Amino acid sequence: MNAAAGRIARGILSGYFLLMVVFLYAPVVVLVIFSFNDNTTPTLPLAGFTTHWYHVALGNDLLLAAVKRSAAIAALNGVAATLLAILAALALSAPRVFARPAVTALIMLPLVVPYVVLGVGMLVLLKTIGLEQSLASVLFVHVVVSVPYGVLVILPRLQTLDPSIQEAARDLGAGEIAAFVRVTLPLILPAILSSYLIAFTISFDEYAIASFLVPPGHDTFPIFLYSNARTPGLRPQTVAIAGLVIAVSLTLVVAAEIGRRTAERRLEGV
Amino acid sequence: MSEAHTDGRRRGFPRRRPWRPGRAWLSVPVTAYLMAGLIVPIILIALYSVHLLTNLIFPPAKFDLDTWKSFLPYLHDGTSVYFDRFKTSMAITLIVSTVAVLAAYPLAFYLAFVAHRRRYTLLLVLLAPFFVSYLLRVYAWTVMLSSDGTINSILVELGRAKGHPVEWLFHSKFAIGLVLAYSWIPFVALPIFVVLENLDKRILEAAEDLGANRFTTFRKVTFPLSLPGVIAAFVFVLIPTTGEFVAPSLVGGSDDSMFGNFIQDSFVNTTDWALGAVMAVWLMAIVVVLIAVSAKYLTADLRGPAR
Repeated sequence: MNAAAGRIARGILSGYFLLMVVFLYAPVVVLVIFSFNDNTTPTLPLAGFTTHWYHVALGNDLLLAAVKRSAAIAALNGVAATLLAILAALALSAPRVFARPAVTALIMLPLVVPYVVLGVGMLVLLKTIGLEQSLASVLFVHVVVSVPYGVLVILPRLQTLDPSIQEAARDLGAGEIAAFVRVTLPLILPAILSSYLIAFTISFDEYAIASFLVPPGHDTFPIFLYSNARTPGLRPQTVAIAGLVIAVSLTLVVAAEIGRRTAERRLEGV
Repeated sequence: MSEAHTDGRRRGFPRRRPWRPGRAWLSVPVTAYLMAGLIVPIILIALYSVHLLTNLIFPPAKFDLDTWKSFLPYLHDGTSVYFDRFKTSMAITLIVSTVAVLAAYPLAFYLAFVAHRRRYTLLLVLLAPFFVSYLLRVYAWTVMLSSDGTINSILVELGRAKGHPVEWLFHSKFAIGLVLAYSWIPFVALPIFVVLENLDKRILEAAEDLGANRFTTFRKVTFPLSLPGVIAAFVFVLIPTTGEFVAPSLVGGSDDSMFGNFIQDSFVNTTDWALGAVMAVWLMAIVVVLIAVSAKYLTADLRGPAR
């Protein structure tokens, strides 16, 4: 009786899980299908296969310029946010930290501040010190929102390292910095790479903050996408662009996960 | 794994503080950076909200609570359009958070207790859409929902819509709620899964040994123990959604602007920032209250080993 009830409950849960996966992927899959559809409206039945919209989209210089700007900001954001996150994680792993709860709270604070407040705040700061909106200011705030994610990835890795490995390095004559660079750093490298990828993705996708800070004529990719999304006439090529980005980001997620698992398996026991 | 290992060693041998690479002063750069990029801007917004800073030539900057008084209906007679919009937005936000948590809980439960060895792969399947740009996921829904979109074309084919597209699907509060809940469900499942996964399975076995059936075990043991994850998930959705302005402007109707849109609009399209600053400070205050109320659960060790 109980076993049968358990099997039914399990079946219902599995079915529900499957339905939700369909729900989560449906809009994305539909978008990709219609990016190849030979029609200007995303309506069924399908009108025939075409790569025309991809040609149109890839021939759009504004798009390419926006993608380049976003990629540059995202790459710099990855470096800056990860460096700050490594320092912060090292600081928080110290045995004694001045005002540790306050420092931790400050580092985690960007996770809970609504992006609209962050964007407005930087706009107000720029105005107060007499500067104009710029891509540099976008980068500045992107680092603020990326740092806590970096710390959340790097700090646990740092804390699970066996201290005796680092002690051994010191005992064998390595200075503090040499021990860090040659022993600790390679061991936390997977976490550093994750931190970089997360920071890159956050910045590359970020619209809300950038919408306040991007100067006219210097659209980042999300800003470009947003203004296209509000122009119905551009829909077919916007759908094609979206299809490309979806394909690239899903590939990256799967690749990053496979890479992480391989790296963790190799580091197991360390 | 290694933590348990070092603990055991520490107990067995004379205690020696483990060498850590950390140095407390390394927190200086990040502290300075976040002061400049986060704390100072919020203080400046607060100064704008009380007219100590202004970008108007007249009246000159002078401490004044007028804008606060006109925003908060309790401080003056009559109503405040902006505060009403805040209440509507909070209602949408609460509904979205509740729906997302209710929809995600069975997913987390399935992963933790039914999926067994495939659970990490299935978790990735669940989380992957979350890594697709938020803007794109919202945009994908405009393709699905619009009056000449996919769902309406299916309904017309089936003869359900009788030639008229179903209007409430798009440019509506329904669309905003659907898109927001859709965006958050994978993310909400994560903290709940972590808590369920780390539950001591022996407690659940003990409940069954003592005669509780599966449902009673869930109601009296599993669910109460998973509450920290549920509350953390709820707050994780609530906080970013309170300031949301992208989904309302892409899939909402002209009358469906949320509080975030009002804040955005008053900084982008008007020269007097005082009202926008008041609303931004109010939003921050709400977030602080939410965190204070739930702090106990947010600091719960969500990644610790099974105890």
